[in-house]
Amino acid sequence: MSHAVMGTHVPGMIEESPFAIPSKKLAMWLFIMADVMTFAACLAAYTFTRNATPDWPRPFHGIASVAVMTFIMLTSCLTMLIGLRAAKMGDKAGAFRWTMVTAIGGIVFALLHIREWMLMLDQGAGLFHNPWGIAAFGAAYYVITGFSLLHISVGSIALIIVGIRYKGGRCDADDLEVMNLYWQFVDLVWLFIVPAVYLMNLAR
Amino acid sequence: MTTAEPPGIRKYVAVYLCLVVITALQFVVGYQNIEGGRMAVRMLTFGVIETILVVLFLMNLSAEKRALIKFIAYFMLFVLAAMNWIWTDSFRLLLFRLTKTGPS
Repeated sequence: MSHAVMGTHVPGMIEESPFAIPSKKLAMWLFIMADVMTFAACLAAYTFTRNATPDWPRPFHGIASVAVMTFIMLTSCLTMLIGLRAAKMGDKAGAFRWTMVTAIGGIVFALLHIREWMLMLDQGAGLFHNPWGIAAFGAAYYVITGFSLLHISVGSIALIIVGIRYKGGRCDADDLEVMNLYWQFVDLVWLFIVPAVYLMNLAR
Repeated sequence: MTTAEPPGIRKYVAVYLCLVVITALQFVVGYQNIEGGRMAVRMLTFGVIETILVVLFLMNLSAEKRALIKFIAYFMLFVLAAMNWIWTDSFRLLLFRLTKTGPS
């Protein structure tokens, strides 16, 4: 009896996806929650080190570049949503175009970020040595911003791949929605990094 | 997921403009000469507001089932509670430094 039931398809007996969302979307939510722990640990450790270290360096004189980077990230979130909406409306060309615009935003952000690093290196601030004599500063700065840069670079490449596959009919709007979740998350992380790393360490 | 009518673009633009304004306020606060603790509280407040806006409206969590919202909310609270263990130790060390006292 039980063998007969197991061997045949019985309507209503198939287990539904948890939380009634597609499995890949749930997987992305789980990934994001795991990544929240990583970034939260990094930022908490950074704040711990900053509070516990007298004369923590304040090397950021002008942060116009950081402001531009933040604006680009925020705008790329909007373009991602416009692309996702186009995909859900069945506008393939529009979805592809806006996804590529988002990816370009990510690439420009990454290039500006590398430029920011170059300026820090020019000041003599390396991973373990810097002119201010606080060795932990370089490690904290490069690890936190580097981890964010890694996420945004990987996200930009993934956006290009998913966009091209969507145009070719091998991905659908669900895949773009999963990418949207990831992209909004990396933007949100950046919005926490800016005040913690840059705004609270402006040169006085 | 793809059958439902997607939200209007106006909602996204409104949330985007809110985020731009809040971020601009963060930059203004950053340039003010405010004591570190008070500045941290203000920045964290802005960060929490940004998180709510992004997660509910840009990641569309508000349109999901209640069970998923609860699952994510409880998990995030657990993460923040776990981080709180480090925060308290951080401020304990700060207090030691300011009052020139410490564990013997």
